[in-house]
Amino acid sequence: MHFVTGGAYNGKTKWVKHFYGLESETLWLSGYQKEQPTMTDFQGNTVVLHGLDAWIQQDAEKMNAESIRKRWKEIMADWRIWEKEKDDHNCIVIGSDISKGIVPMEAQDRKWRDACGWVFQDVASLSNRVDVIWYGINQQIK
Amino acid sequence: MEKSRLCFITGGVRSGKSRFAEKKAIEYAIQLSGNLHYLACGRVSDAEMEERIRRHQRDRKSSPIAWRTWEYSTNITRIGSDLNQDSIILLDCLTTLLDNELFGPNIPLEKEFLHSVFTKIISGINEIRKQASCLIIVSNEVVQEPIFQNEFLHIYGKILGLLHQAVVEQADEAYLVESGIPLLMKGCMQE
Repeated sequence: MHFVTGGAYNGKTKWVKHFYGLESETLWLSGYQKEQPTMTDFQGNTVVLHGLDAWIQQDAEKMNAESIRKRWKEIMADWRIWEKEKDDHNCIVIGSDISKGIVPMEAQDRKWRDACGWVFQDVASLSNRVDVIWYGINQQIK
Repeated sequence: MEKSRLCFITGGVRSGKSRFAEKKAIEYAIQLSGNLHYLACGRVSDAEMEERIRRHQRDRKSSPIAWRTWEYSTNITRIGSDLNQDSIILLDCLTTLLDNELFGPNIPLEKEFLHSVFTKIISGINEIRKQASCLIIVSNEVVQEPIFQNEFLHIYGKILGLLHQAVVEQADEAYLVESGIPLLMKGCMQE
């Protein structure tokens, strides 16, 4: 598992495409498009979960932060099982960092931000590689 | 025509990024026997801004090589006729230039206009680079927060992020200044 984070509009997606030379054999699941972050019948080797922050934002509309964290532990556990099925299986998770601003006014946004922080920590800890992207430049932090 | 060296420097407010950029410019001027130009994009809007500009002006007065100062809050290519191939230009800063280009004309922030502002700034940078020895661009780090909640901040964050990506991609060197300490993010240290 490879977690890629950094601020919004820092070129994370572009970096992932370039780094992996990704082509058609990749399944992109988008949180921004409100797609489900779970497996469908896919025979390829690479899955990109695009927009972890966006999925968590949708979760924050209906769940508390602890439940969101639990939900994502389960989702990621399933992806780890899928990765272990075959050596070539790789799950890449992209999430925008929203943790470095002023405390949001709205309680729901605070919940979103808290949940993002926790889930990002959990995903980073599961990943064998973590990169922070700064205007297209990667810094490998794990 | 060959383009000048490009150096990108960013950091938080009062991180010491302008001071570092000036130091960098003077080093280049000494190393390349160049002439120094300060391209100020800020407008003197209040007393606080005036004081800040004064402080930077004082710093530049104590420089071993004289600076020429140009104040262009928009259309930065106006500096062109005063440059030559030995010129070292410090553009301070990209965020104020973006503010002025975006909000100066009072045009609704729609897709076409945003695209034209992006293109104008990037081609302005390219124009200057064709006529100079080195261009140093200072900009501001923006906070990483839930910007999508506010349409205006979203637009602003997006265009600034895209500008930073485009500049860093072309840059020979890129630095992030943290509490006065420059971190080299791209390129290699000059000996």
